[in-house]
Amino acid sequence: MGHHHIEIKQEKFEFTSRSKMLSIILLAVGILLSVIGVMQIKANDSKVAAETTSVNAVGASHETAAASEHAGEHTKPWTTRFWANMLVNSYYFLLFAVGALFFVALNYVANAGWAVMVKRVAEGISAYIPIGLILLFITLYFGGTQLYHWLHYEHEGLKEGMEGYDKILAGKSPFLNSKFLFLGVPLFVLIWYCFRIILRRLSIKEDSEGGLTFFRKSTRFSAAFLVIFGFSFSMLVWLMIMSVDAHWYSTIYTINNFAVMFVTSVTVISFFTIYLKSKGYMELVSSEIMHDLGKFMFAFCIFWAYTWLAQFLLIWYANINEEVVYFQIRLHGYFRPLFFTNLFMNFFIPFLILMMREAKRNPKSLLVAGSIILVGHWLDVFLMIMPGVVGTSSGLGLLELGMPIAFAGLFIYVVKYSLSKANLYAINHPYIMESATYDVGP
Amino acid sequence: MFCFSTSINKRNLIYGVFDDDSNLIHAVEEVREKGIEVFDCYTPFPVHHLDTAMGINRTRLSIAAFLCGTTGFCLGLLLQFYMMVFDWPMNIGGKPSDYHMLPSMVPVVFECTILCTAYGLAFLFFFRNKMGHGVKPDILDLRQTNDHLLIAFDSDTLDQAAKSELTTILNKNGVLSIHEYSGQYANEGGAHA
Repeated sequence: MGHHHIEIKQEKFEFTSRSKMLSIILLAVGILLSVIGVMQIKANDSKVAAETTSVNAVGASHETAAASEHAGEHTKPWTTRFWANMLVNSYYFLLFAVGALFFVALNYVANAGWAVMVKRVAEGISAYIPIGLILLFITLYFGGTQLYHWLHYEHEGLKEGMEGYDKILAGKSPFLNSKFLFLGVPLFVLIWYCFRIILRRLSIKEDSEGGLTFFRKSTRFSAAFLVIFGFSFSMLVWLMIMSVDAHWYSTIYTINNFAVMFVTSVTVISFFTIYLKSKGYMELVSSEIMHDLGKFMFAFCIFWAYTWLAQFLLIWYANINEEVVYFQIRLHGYFRPLFFTNLFMNFFIPFLILMMREAKRNPKSLLVAGSIILVGHWLDVFLMIMPGVVGTSSGLGLLELGMPIAFAGLFIYVVKYSLSKANLYAINHPYIMESATYDVGP
Repeated sequence: MFCFSTSINKRNLIYGVFDDDSNLIHAVEEVREKGIEVFDCYTPFPVHHLDTAMGINRTRLSIAAFLCGTTGFCLGLLLQFYMMVFDWPMNIGGKPSDYHMLPSMVPVVFECTILCTAYGLAFLFFFRNKMGHGVKPDILDLRQTNDHLLIAFDSDTLDQAAKSELTTILNKNGVLSIHEYSGQYANEGGAHA
């Protein structure tokens, strides 16, 4: 050991035109794949429609007609599937950014010093919040009636006693209504973004001026953010995600989504750190810090599984009709293999990989486990939204492949752009030395 | 009488007394650079990095924890499968009594895993550190239990030149005093202040 003198040099990430190009190509490829995917779905839809009409025209047996009618009732247009995919991805990528902001605030409030070296990476990731909000709002505004049947129901304006009147949806309408959706969601995310702006400004000012005032102010704002975030994130998840199955509810749903947010954002933070290290930046970020990020990934994989099981187990065991429908569609039919894949990708595989000490310290195994987690949680969000919105006419096609690629391209571009705007180390942070000489022990 | 032999039993040791942990670590590093192996260090509190300075391998506690956990996991599954499927299947809310009841087993399996890991490691800790009833602790100097830190060398493995070099290094790093310890009476007293 020995106390080496560590000098922290100002470093700035250079967003080269090559890496700009790469993320734009990623975006373009993603869009291209999505367009091809949409065309495939359209072609398939028209084929099915033609078959259905021909069957009806020929006047087939009563049974077949009834079956096709039944299928036709559940077949949704391609736009529904498109907007559902937009919701999955805009929500999922927004989670990374919000989670990164949460990570920064959490470390301030917990008075934690170890993560100061990667604080700027987390801040950079949180720069995606406004872009994510715009995409999310576009999705909600234009796709809302197709995504949420309660929104559609609201437009119908049915009164009690009329045909199609839904007592449960009417009862939930004080919360599940278009005003809450179109004003509440942007308001919540904007509030988070304001906190991001404040924390970022304090952080940048600290670099040039130094002193403890910025740290103290940041801690106070972080504490306020955490309280506000806890409530508003719950509301956001209820409004946007849980309400795709508007007749159903689960009290642990938000916590499960919070676990998704935290584990994915920590994974994204460690991915960007590994990327920066591979490019020769951030050499002072030791394997000790990567180890702790890996521990967070490991811990929140378990936490996710815990909340997931807590939700599943009670509903599965109680077996009450109105609750069990949620898992009925996911556990049987098309979604069954995905349902189990989700469990394996988000719990069993990362749990067994990240359990080992060396796996958390080695960037390669961290990348493997992290990739499984990121794809797995995309699938998790997919399984939250798709069965409720698109139902049986859902699928994993080129659209589902292309859209995350496009979002990833955009996300990487925004984050790298933000990273290049500030020093990579928060050099005047009071805990920077603690982080630079950090040691998790044997 | 139940008694483990302690590690300082029947050994001749030379030990230096320190009152500062960083001095101790510097002494350990310098001594090992000269090729002299440290027998052990005795500290009243855990000293960060002392184990790496002494060249001690990383603990295998985590492997033991994994094995204990796996045992608990298997035992928990076995317990419930035996009771609920083979021995006395019970009808609880019309649920099936076969592998389909696996989700409902998870909480108990989880608890059994934790139980086995916690108890296994606690007992392993007592066993590995020789913390049983009737075991005399390794006390070279009573001050090691209070506020002083000890570095001990096996004097049988050192020749005269090494011993004098050792003394120089210890003195250079601020040792308070250097003593010799003969462990032949360890069974009767142990403590030798």
